[in-house]
Parts: sequence; C-alpha cells; structure tokens
Amino acid sequence: MTIDAKDLPRESPSVSMGFPVTVGWTHAAMAINSSLRLGTAVNLTMHVEMHGPLLIDFKNHAFSWSTPLELFPVDAVHTGLETSPTVEDGPPFFELPGEDLDGLLWVMGINSFGGARAYWLPEGERYQLTRWPNLTRHNHTMRQMQMIAVLGNTSATTKELATVVGVEESEAQSLVNALSLMGVLYRSTAEPEMAIVKPTAAAKRKSLFGRLLKRLGR
Amino acid sequence: MSPGLHTKPAVVKAATSLLDEMKSVASSLNYAALLTDDGFDVARLPGQIDGARFAGMASSMQALGDAVAHELKIGTSEYIIIASGKGYVVQLRVPGQELVLSALFDNDATIGSALAISRSYAQKMADLLK
Amino acid sequence: MAEHVILFTGPMGAGKTTAIQNLSEIEVVSTEANNSERHIVDKATTTVALDYGEITIDGEEKVRLYGIPGQKRFDFMWAILKKRAEGMVLLVNNDAPDPIQEMLNFIDDFRELYDRGGVVVGVSRSDVGTGPSLASYSEALERANPGMVIPVFTVDPRDGDQMQDVLLALIVNIEMRAAFGAMMARSV
Repeated sequence: MTIDAKDLPRESPSVSMGFPVTVGWTHAAMAINSSLRLGTAVNLTMHVEMHGPLLIDFKNHAFSWSTPLELFPVDAVHTGLETSPTVEDGPPFFELPGEDLDGLLWVMGINSFGGARAYWLPEGERYQLTRWPNLTRHNHTMRQMQMIAVLGNTSATTKELATVVGVEESEAQSLVNALSLMGVLYRSTAEPEMAIVKPTAAAKRKSLFGRLLKRLGR
Repeated sequence: MSPGLHTKPAVVKAATSLLDEMKSVASSLNYAALLTDDGFDVARLPGQIDGARFAGMASSMQALGDAVAHELKIGTSEYIIIASGKGYVVQLRVPGQELVLSALFDNDATIGSALAISRSYAQKMADLLK
Repeated sequence: MAEHVILFTGPMGAGKTTAIQNLSEIEVVSTEANNSERHIVDKATTTVALDYGEITIDGEEKVRLYGIPGQKRFDFMWAILKKRAEGMVLLVNNDAPDPIQEMLNFIDDFRELYDRGGVVVGVSRSDVGTGPSLASYSEALERANPGMVIPVFTVDPRDGDQMQDVLLALIVNIEMRAAFGAMMARSV
C-alpha cells in the first residue's frame, strides 16, 4: 500500500518511496540505512502486515510499534513505507521517549540480507567497533558477543571474524550488517592481509569465557 | 535510622572527653578513636595518625571480624586484637551502639590490661549514650 | 586450583552487592553496616569492607567476585582487592548527580585494569528516564582513552541473566584484548 500525497495533511507532506510489497527486512534495512546516513530530519512510517504501523523518529533515535521486539516477525510482509520531513523543533512523531531505535536496528540488521553482505557495504573491507551495542537490551547469542569483542580489539574482515570465532561467514556477516546499520563500525580497506589464525584447541581450553559459558548453561 | 553519631555535637564532645580520660589513666595508650560502624570518625586522641582513614580501616576490620565469626558460627565478634612488635591494637564495639572503640597501646601494656581498659571505656561510652 | 578475581566497583548505591548476590553460587559474605549518609544515598546499609561471592567451574576453578565499598574513605580496601583482580564490573547509578564523572573517577582509581581492557561499565537505574544517555558514557570513555572500546550496558543488578551477560562480556573482552591488543597497537 502506498499513500497518495493528496490524502495527507498539507503541513506534513509525506513521500512514499516506491516501496514494493516485500517479505522480510532487507528493503526496510536499506531504507532505514539511507535515512540514517542522509542525516536530514525525517520521520518514517513502515506498514507491516498484521503488525501495525512501525513509526521511526530519527531525530530522537526512537521508534514506536505495537509489536514487541521479543516477538520480532522475521518473515514480516511489508506493504508500504513513507517518510515525512520534520524540523528540529517539530512536534514529536509519537509520544516520547518511545523505544530506543538501536534495539530495532540490531534485530533488523541481524535478520536481513539472508547472511549476505548488506548492499551499502563495499567488498573487501575490515571492520572495527567504535562502541559496544547495549547487549543487555538486545537478544543476542554468545557467539555474537564473542565476535563483538574481537571487533572491539582488532579490525577484521567478516571472513577473519568467522574464522576466529569458528562460525559460518554468513553469521559473521549478519552481525557486521547489524553493527553497520547501528553506525558503530569503523571501516577500512582490507589490505594488507593480516595473520588472524583460527584458535587452536589448546587456546580454546585456556579460554575462561568458554568454560564459564558452559558452567552457566548459556 | 537517625544520622550518624559523628554528626551529633553532644556525642562528639562526650566521646572526646572520655578518650582524654582513658589516656590519663592508661599511660601505655598511644592513640584511640571512636568511630561509626560505617567508618566515620566520632572522636580521636591527637596524634600523627590520619583519623579519617583509620576510621575507615577500623570499621572494615570490625565488619570483617563479624563476617568471620558469622561464617564460623561462633556468634558475634567481641573484640579484635592485632599484636605486633611495637604494640597492640584492641578494638571492640560499644555495647548496644553502632559505634566502635579502637585503641593502640605500646608494649608497656600487656594484652590483658589493654583489653580490660578498652572494655571498661567501651562500657562507659555505652552508659553515656543510654 | 585456578582463581580469577573479578571486582565490582562503583559508588555507593549502584547495586554492587545485589549484582554479586545474583551471580554467586554461595551465600554471599557481606560486611554491611548501617548507613549514616542517607542524605547522600537513601539506603539502610552499606558495604564497609567487601562482599564476596563465587562461581565454581568443574570443581577446580573459581571465579571470585569481590564487591568493594563504594566510598572514597575505604580506598585502602580498593588497593588490597585490586592487587589480585583480572577485571572489574563498574556499576554507576544513572540518576546520580554526575554519573559520568563518577565513572571516570573509578577508572582513574583502577587504571591498571582499564589499561588491559578489563572493564565493563554497567549503568543502573537508567529506566528512571533522567540522566545521560548510554552513548555519552561511551563518548566520555573514548575521550579519556582514545582507541579503547569499553563495553557499556544498561543493567538491572537484580536481573541474573543481565549480570551474567555483563560478566561474560568482561571476560571475553579481556581475552580478546590479550589476543589482539598488541596487534592493534601495531596497526595504529
């Protein structure tokens, strides 16, 4: 569904983005990434079948949605998306504070692109973390935590990241997509290649992290 | 609870004169302080010691003593003694109060006499606060 | 027997004792005294020496959790406890008057741990709605030590799962710092 401009109140001209009906979050992630990188003040409304409108206020880094993120519909059907410009001191898009946008960006980034590289990321880059995501608020796996810790202490390609932690490259890529959408990655060219090696069995045994995970049943 | 005893001028005054009296009867007493359970100095004898810091340390020691006694199921700690080459520290709670007396004696005192005088002055402090 | 000492630091009232109680498998050894500074932090008791809890792994390895007393007048205990420590969970109260400065003060006092990546910051009481954003904690840390990325999370010290996440993030960050820290220093 796209909304015709003439149906909207004149003081808030919304723009439908020629958004096709899609299943999953890839297009949504791309639209949000563009809005975030453009830096112009816009509000965004996404229509998600069966899940009500998802409202995003970029200026306040907040969103409002009737569906809680714990019930995030991975295969959601998106039927439309509009942006509406706003000004610095414009009225709130919804009642603030709303939810922290980072939570949505995290889960959306993990669940888009099907483990392939996000379209806005060029090939052949290394990544390094600039800020940890607020993991106590985001549903995460321990492997994701481990990969984040790697990126917090060195710069790595997704392939290197996958090797160090011992996961499929698609899993590392999904994490990189999410962190990139959240804007917490520093990107640099992949050259020169670095000698990141797979941890040996002995190194794994030495890892308190691994043993504590087991002990805590995580 | 009410604010700490260290904030009550009448208590500070009474505690200070009690420590002065203790010093006058025990020549082997080098330093003494009365402090709250949470480490605030209520009164102290003059000396080279950093009273605020000592109050913190003494309250930690008291709490650790209580924790050890509790862990070993031997009731509550009655007193703590640190004996070293140049003297003794005797420390005990003022009965019924959130207040600790910590006293440093030189080697002219025996542990027994140091303990006896400390106990007696802790009791006097308790009587004053009744 | 291998031991790993983890400290819980931060100002009075940030939730250090509660956090340890939620993580420890033994009854926590605590040294609480009645708090006579209720005009500063309104709670009945305060830690005056340490809290102690532990997690045993395979019966032969212990993660020892020590909580420090938060007030500066107990900093002699900080010196005693940090000698053996591998890392620390620094808890700050988001609705305190200046929580970011408090965080930076503790980092100065526990510099050795910070320098080897052994710090996670947990911001408690962030749900109250006042106080700085999480990003401003990260920015202050980045300014204090450029190039070092310290995990900063909102936490509820009463939530055992969250406290496990915090502890695990601390440990994995120390391990990755040890594995890659030198490499990063070269590349800068």
